[in-house]
Amino acid sequence: MNTADVHTLLGPYVLDAVDDIERAAFDRHLRECDACRADVSELREASARLADGAWSVPPPGLRDNVLAAIGSVRQIAPISPAPAPAPATAPARSSRRLRLVSAAAAVVVAAAGAATAAYTLQDHRVRVEQARAEAAQAAESRVRALLASPDLVVKEEPVTGGGRVTVATSKLHDAGVIMLAADAAPSDGRVFQLWTIRSAVPIPEGTLAPGQTAAVQIVEGMGQASDVGVSVEPPGGSKTPTTPLAADVKL
Amino acid sequence: MAERGTSRRPEHLSAVPDPDPDPGDLLRAVAGGDEKAFARLYDLVAPRVYGLIRRVLRDPAQSEEVAQEVLVEVWRSAARFDPARGSATSWICTIAHRRAVDRVRSEQAASERLTYVGRAQVDVPYDAVADEVSGRLERQQVRRCLHDLTDLQREAVTLAYYQGHTYPQVAELLGAPLPTVKTRMRDGLIRLRDCLGAGAVA
Repeated sequence: MNTADVHTLLGPYVLDAVDDIERAAFDRHLRECDACRADVSELREASARLADGAWSVPPPGLRDNVLAAIGSVRQIAPISPAPAPAPATAPARSSRRLRLVSAAAAVVVAAAGAATAAYTLQDHRVRVEQARAEAAQAAESRVRALLASPDLVVKEEPVTGGGRVTVATSKLHDAGVIMLAADAAPSDGRVFQLWTIRSAVPIPEGTLAPGQTAAVQIVEGMGQASDVGVSVEPPGGSKTPTTPLAADVKL
Repeated sequence: MAERGTSRRPEHLSAVPDPDPDPGDLLRAVAGGDEKAFARLYDLVAPRVYGLIRRVLRDPAQSEEVAQEVLVEVWRSAARFDPARGSATSWICTIAHRRAVDRVRSEQAASERLTYVGRAQVDVPYDAVADEVSGRLERQQVRRCLHDLTDLQREAVTLAYYQGHTYPQVAELLGAPLPTVKTRMRDGLIRLRDCLGAGAVA
């Protein structure tokens, strides 16, 4: 997207009517354009006034809940000179998050594409693929909700043979997302398998198909896990991980 | 003695709240960990935050959940507020709107395209919610200024802001080309700014 194209996103950007990729492009543009930052600030004042038009008495319990909740929330320290472009998140984190969302979206798009092709097949196969696409959509919205959580912690490790595994966890959701993007599938028809280690016990969290190099896996109850591991196994996976692991992410 | 009397005012008198505290001052105090300032800030902004989120999400339970997240986020990241770049209210509303929109999009991703086409038609009863508290000057002004926009500007701005649609979705809903929708959003906001005199507010 060139500068002229990006600049046309001013109105949609202020109204949050852009997608994550466009938002990141516009944020980059803002860092180089003082006049645009001034435009955004002014139009944000106007758009925020639209909230006046939605004024509504909050539920009575909200005040107590919020005031109780802040007791256990640590405040962030002021950042010294340069403020972040987006008010809610630091730039490093938002670009990291964008990459995660994009990776997850790519996998989901691939799954949806597979589902579309299947419509030409027999009826019962269509239904199966449709259910898969629906499951993929539900998974994607869960991934997005997770990645948007305020307490997200992201860890990343290289995978033996190239590529990396990224683990994003949220205590609030008591869940995490494992994103594997290896450069190549294991040799000899072997496959990648994902694990969490909980109280020193490896729990299988999903096995990739032969030849598959990328996966996004949601793991519930991540709170008890100390590690996320990636191992190389025979097709179909194993009951316990083969060592050495291809990657080990300490949580 | 008058001087001395002023400086040694009894505690309960100084505790009487300032009738019109500035959200920016409160937010700076909040950044320093002042929970009392946060409680007063809550009282000032919660109806806007909740109302906005409810307008976008519609579901009261979800709205309450997201409003709580947003208000806790305000507490957490108060130090990031930079008065040089806008008002405290605008900073808070920006966080609230972004969260509400993120939530509505993640819900949309799981539902059919038809659902959000249907949203435009079920919008009307929600004015009743906004009417819970009537006669507020700011709201009247916003309505008047919205009325001042062209139809396409107003629809483009409100479909995006109040319903969380992306500009391609707005283009589809309005049957208008993408570049037109982008321009109408920008021009609508500029006209709104001029009408509200918001550009002059620090």
